[in-house]
Amino acid sequence: MTVSELAEQVGAKLITPGSHGVEVQRVYASDRISDLLNEVSDATLLVTNLSNSTLVRLIQLMDVSSVCLLNGAEPEDSVIAAAREHGAALVVSPVGMYETCGRLYQAFQGKRT
Amino acid sequence: METATFTITGGDYGSGGAASRSLKELLKRIGVDAPAVRRTMIAAYEAEMNVVIHAKLGTMEAAVDQGQVEVIVADEGPGIPDIELAMKEGYSTAPATARNMGFGAGMGLPNIQRNTDRFSIQSTVGHGTQVRFTILLNPEELGSAAANSVYIEPERCRQCLECLHACPTAAIRVRGGQPSILEHLCVDCTNCIAACEAGALILHVNTDLPRPSVETLLVLPASFLEQFGGSVAPEQVLDVLADMGFRNTRLTEEWEEALRKAVCAYAAESVKVHPVISPVCPAVVNLIQARFPSLMEQVAPFRTPLEAAYEELTVSHMVFVPVCPSQHSLLKLQRLLTKVELVAPAALINAVRDCRTGLKPVHDNVEAPGTGLKPVLRGQSDQNVRLGNRTYDLLQVSGMRHVMKVLDAVENGMMEDYAVLELYACGQGCFGSPVWNEDPFVARARWDRASVPMVSSAQPTAHHSCVQARPVRRTAPLHGRIGVRLDSDMRKAMEKLAKLDATAKSLPGRNCGVCGAPTCAALAEDIVMGRADISACVYREKGESR
Repeated sequence: MTVSELAEQVGAKLITPGSHGVEVQRVYASDRISDLLNEVSDATLLVTNLSNSTLVRLIQLMDVSSVCLLNGAEPEDSVIAAAREHGAALVVSPVGMYETCGRLYQAFQGKRT
Repeated sequence: METATFTITGGDYGSGGAASRSLKELLKRIGVDAPAVRRTMIAAYEAEMNVVIHAKLGTMEAAVDQGQVEVIVADEGPGIPDIELAMKEGYSTAPATARNMGFGAGMGLPNIQRNTDRFSIQSTVGHGTQVRFTILLNPEELGSAAANSVYIEPERCRQCLECLHACPTAAIRVRGGQPSILEHLCVDCTNCIAACEAGALILHVNTDLPRPSVETLLVLPASFLEQFGGSVAPEQVLDVLADMGFRNTRLTEEWEEALRKAVCAYAAESVKVHPVISPVCPAVVNLIQARFPSLMEQVAPFRTPLEAAYEELTVSHMVFVPVCPSQHSLLKLQRLLTKVELVAPAALINAVRDCRTGLKPVHDNVEAPGTGLKPVLRGQSDQNVRLGNRTYDLLQVSGMRHVMKVLDAVENGMMEDYAVLELYACGQGCFGSPVWNEDPFVARARWDRASVPMVSSAQPTAHHSCVQARPVRRTAPLHGRIGVRLDSDMRKAMEKLAKLDATAKSLPGRNCGVCGAPTCAALAEDIVMGRADISACVYREKGESR
């Protein structure tokens, strides 16, 4: 499933489309930097509440392919700029971590059946 | 080699990660491949954020060459009182501000260790912390470069065949008038070097004496200090070395002792299968990988003392004195941000002798000796391991023949009454290296007699040569040797084994070595593997066979 398809299914807003064009094959949710650093991959959608400045670094350093922010919190311009520069897809979910993950899980289940 | 230095400002969360980003740009410009960049970034960012969270100021120093990326992140911070504790996953002293931003989960240091090939951390409370890590760009290539350090001088060979019979793993062949070594069998012990009186098999180390500076740290085995007869005390040798300009000296025995304590604690706490084999001698670790792979899990998960010293010490200039091929192999893994020089033991012995007899100064412009760093001299430590209310012994066995016998016994489950085994390839441990002049028993006994602790003349400072010797955990498990089996395909290997047995039976069984292989069985294997022809056997041509 592409990021935009996923965003549509879970009611998230697409901020930047990303240029990786890779299918999202897994979702990883965490607010801990150390975990996120290890779990980044071309096919992973990161779901996180990470602060703007840290998220900018994560995108710059780790070639993140896609990030889902939470609670309808629009990212700062610095995050959007970093995402554009590094071709990362950025979406904002209107709901919190728990519910977003639930919706993403269902979207993937629906795809499978 | 490319080097770069970046500054890190403590407390500035906004710019935290800037140094890592600059490093990433450098790596990409050089063309380092993506997985290595990724691993470097994880480690660099974690290390950088540690400085931002805990310290005022820091630097990230990086060097890149064809084989590796080496990074040192150093700070002027509060230091870490207990490094073992700091390395535990989940342990953190980060403030709430850091935690709220997703840091301070107590995963930083373990994360660096997990993503790097070499890792060390030094810290002095009140002064600062230094984290060093290396990412190997092509580990398999580096592994083979590091293997096997017995050096062959073919023209010196008199074909006496002593080396053939001395080699405990049947790794040597003498064909075409010169010895050669089957690398997959050689474990880098000293048996062939000791056996070769012609000097055709040697430990080949630089004989030019490195030029010492105030910073230079000399790392020696204790056995070096006992090579000058009974009338010269170890302290005097250290004094002469100081006169020569080597004012800072550390003994590898410090790391041996640290390892001993760590292995005993490991054996007492967390192990079910006894005995635990201490990785005290790199040649014995090689032997276990090549010949006793079933015992690899019984080797305590630490690095050898020399490796630990090499990894832990971060002085700008270090001089090592390898006393056997296995030590030499370990020191071949280069470091980029530290100048490491090796010197042959014999060369240093001669220099000490000449200096002592006033024959000649070593270098003309040696800086005046001052208060350097001298090691604490001491003998054996307590050799008992307590498990519950029972006391188990620590057993030391030395010499390849004995070590192999004991390893056989361990494999057969006949050594469970011992908690810890310390196995050394050379008789009397490193005192038995063939590079020494003194008899191993005499030198070892003199060293043990010098067991009255000598107070170090140096005051502890922030100087990194003062770091306390610590055991270094092995991060990757030991792996068996490649190429030891007859064939990677099990079925073909069985066929080859049958052929090998049949060939061996057709040979006379004299194990004379004239064919160039140490035993008839070894020749049979050479024939099956295409390394020799059956016509090499002189007795078989005469119609002699079993």
